[in-house]
Amino acid sequence: MRPEDRERIQVEVVSRIVDRHVQRADTAPEGYLETLVNDTIYHERRRLERASGQNARAEQAFYDGVLRRMRHASDRDLRGLLEKLARRFVAEVVGNFDKRVYRLTTSVIPGGLWLLLNAMSPRRMLSLEGLRHGFTKNLRLEGELEHVKAMARRGTLVVVPTHSSNLDSILMGYAIYLMGLPPVTYGAGLNLFSNPLLSFFMANLGAYRVDRKKTSVVYKEVLKEYATVSMEMGYNNLFFPGGTRCRSGAVEDNLKKGLLGCAGQAYIGNLRAGRDQPNIYVVPCTINYMLVLEAATLINDHLKDVGKSQYIIEDDESSRPRLVYEFLSKLLSLDAQVTLSFSTPMDVFGNKVDGQGRSLDARGRVVDASRYVTRDGAPVYDAQRDQQYTRELADAITAAYHRDATILSTNLVARAIFNLLRRHNPELRVYRLLRTGGQLSSFPLGEVHQDTERILGVLKAADQGPRLGPTVAGGDVTEVVADALRAFAVYHAHPAAVRRGDRIFHEDRNLLLFYGNKLNGYAVSS
Amino acid sequence: MKRPYGVVGAGSWGTTLCKILSDHGHEVFMWAHDADVVEEINRSHTNERYLPDAKLPPTVRASGEVAEVCEACHLLLMVVPSHVFRSVAGRMGEYVNGEQVIVHCTKGIEQGSHLRMSQILREETCVRKIGVLSGPNLARELAARRPAGTLVASKYAEVVALAQEALHGPYFRVYGGDDVAGAEVGGAFKNIIAVAAGLVDGLGLGDNTRALLLTRGLVEMARYGEAMKARVLTFFGMAGIGDLMATCASPLSRNHQVGERLARGESLKQIQEGMFMVAEGVKTARAVHQYALEHGMELPIVEAVYGMLYHGLGVDEAMGALMGRGTGDEFKDLTQGS
Repeated sequence: MRPEDRERIQVEVVSRIVDRHVQRADTAPEGYLETLVNDTIYHERRRLERASGQNARAEQAFYDGVLRRMRHASDRDLRGLLEKLARRFVAEVVGNFDKRVYRLTTSVIPGGLWLLLNAMSPRRMLSLEGLRHGFTKNLRLEGELEHVKAMARRGTLVVVPTHSSNLDSILMGYAIYLMGLPPVTYGAGLNLFSNPLLSFFMANLGAYRVDRKKTSVVYKEVLKEYATVSMEMGYNNLFFPGGTRCRSGAVEDNLKKGLLGCAGQAYIGNLRAGRDQPNIYVVPCTINYMLVLEAATLINDHLKDVGKSQYIIEDDESSRPRLVYEFLSKLLSLDAQVTLSFSTPMDVFGNKVDGQGRSLDARGRVVDASRYVTRDGAPVYDAQRDQQYTRELADAITAAYHRDATILSTNLVARAIFNLLRRHNPELRVYRLLRTGGQLSSFPLGEVHQDTERILGVLKAADQGPRLGPTVAGGDVTEVVADALRAFAVYHAHPAAVRRGDRIFHEDRNLLLFYGNKLNGYAVSS
Repeated sequence: MKRPYGVVGAGSWGTTLCKILSDHGHEVFMWAHDADVVEEINRSHTNERYLPDAKLPPTVRASGEVAEVCEACHLLLMVVPSHVFRSVAGRMGEYVNGEQVIVHCTKGIEQGSHLRMSQILREETCVRKIGVLSGPNLARELAARRPAGTLVASKYAEVVALAQEALHGPYFRVYGGDDVAGAEVGGAFKNIIAVAAGLVDGLGLGDNTRALLLTRGLVEMARYGEAMKARVLTFFGMAGIGDLMATCASPLSRNHQVGERLARGESLKQIQEGMFMVAEGVKTARAVHQYALEHGMELPIVEAVYGMLYHGLGVDEAMGALMGRGTGDEFKDLTQGS
């Protein structure tokens, strides 16, 4: 973010939040502002009870002070306290800014990545050139790249990728650099800042800090308002609408509406302010890994937690720099291991847009999107209406994910083997099957080929996606299976499956489930 | 300046809605497919063919051009039979904009695609503010201003509020909701049960049989509704049990008449030859049957009605099959609320 905008955005965010609540207090029951401030302090103090260190003590003292002042506060004082809290939150979110780093990153981002990777390497496992070459060769960008670039010239982009790894933001940052787009602003969890490698890029690719342990209403509003205002200022945004890394390995279909709604609000804000380029373009994108850094942790968490709310994973593969490095270099040794697939850009209502950025209805007719939010000729906010628009946008994004996700050989073969497991053990429930592996520890290679072929046939016949990775699209089942087994062998402590002689052994069934789940929703069950 | 309310379709229900709107003091602009109906409405303020004996006020104007009505009105009530719904929606799609509101009043499910009418509107127009009006609303009773109620469901609160403002009045109570799928499934599905109810009445089987049919019909409606992501509770309301009771009890209902004539041994072909208006239950039975077949869903009453309509299944055979089935738990297969 441009230095001159940093203050502007903070002032704007705080004043919007304070004004909104002061306005609400006029019609709300007595004590509205008091409850709001009190609630914020309560949430913060609870969070701090579990924290330690000098910072925590200083924070504790701050909130104790606010609480003391609140006891005898007039309405005017309460407004001041709310402002103080909001200002504190927004300052945290924006983080410290180092002009030197900013210059460095906007000019030499990719070089920085390789330098850093190598600096962290214990034994300089790959040369700088080798690594750079590996990335360029093996990161595939596909889909509507030109369309996305054209939209960046006509309005503000909101890139919304699927999320399965903490490496996602780095890859997205790099992809956006490769495409020649300006850097994006995005919210990254505080835990990501604890890894020096990731932290470097978090801060440098325009990340703001999101502390998921902060649960008060005011804090959440600060985050949303920050995103909204930055979009209105014309900053391209990136966020993962799945909220957290997808635990199951499936293509996401349950999106969080909170941040997504900011796109619509920013659009209305732009229309109301009469800005030249009011359009916000939402760009769904799927990040498709041949291997996922945190696969083992994610699927274990998924299985532990099915049906319950997920908790924040603070210590996983991505918090261990050496492991991240090893993973990357192994991943790079494979062919075409990461595919970023960009979908057709859409407006904030989920309508696709054409090459000139005009919204299209389902029949391809040009529509005036501003009419969705106008009443008697003027653009207006309407909370209930706008929430529904956000739901419809979320539906359009998940449909795009499913259409444009890229199926790689690891996904296809994992699903084929898991199908065989289910078919050979019809009496076992999934959990038991995962634990015991059922009757047979291996299947004949031919059977795996056969089911892979069958699934491939279903995928190729589907007219609503998905996309197929290069090896998979090639259609040579023998090669697809060999490709997947090679990939499984290079990274995971226990490969998902291995070939011995003419049989395929299922070694880590959780991983098979994880990689195979990507095919959920494409009618490929056994 | 207040814009007129638009009504797309000049059948008996469309004409009745025009009457209700104008009774509430609103100006109405309606679209009719037939030029002679347009002319009759504009000249003599009647629609003898579809709503005999009803007089429309001069505040109801008609046009044969979809464009004129779409461009003049903010709220459009769409009241065309389900088999022409897509083509009319496609024509409207050329002229409407995203600020407008469409509330459809068509009870049916599209053949082949299994889409509900609101889904067709999404495919054929840019309009998002879509609602459905569905309830126990026999046109002729409402045209005679006899008290009745209905449901308007939409995901958009402003759509419900707008429809209530337009239609709610001394003899018509308009309830609101947000379960669009439930309102649409209820309205469409009850037409199939109404055919069966006509059959039961035609055979003179009595009140116990009719109650058995309606109750089990409601369970089938809920089962199918759940698959369409509807809320089961909606079927306890205007668009479910309400509509079912009115349609199944009334000899005025076209679907009921189809059932009665089936009881007399007439074939579908014979029945249709003698009717100039559409009995939606006949088409819906086929659409729902096809869905149940594709998804392995048990809907025995639908199967029986479908068999009689399309495959010449005899009344005795159908009754025998229904009464000979196993029973078990009353609400098995329903997941909500269990």
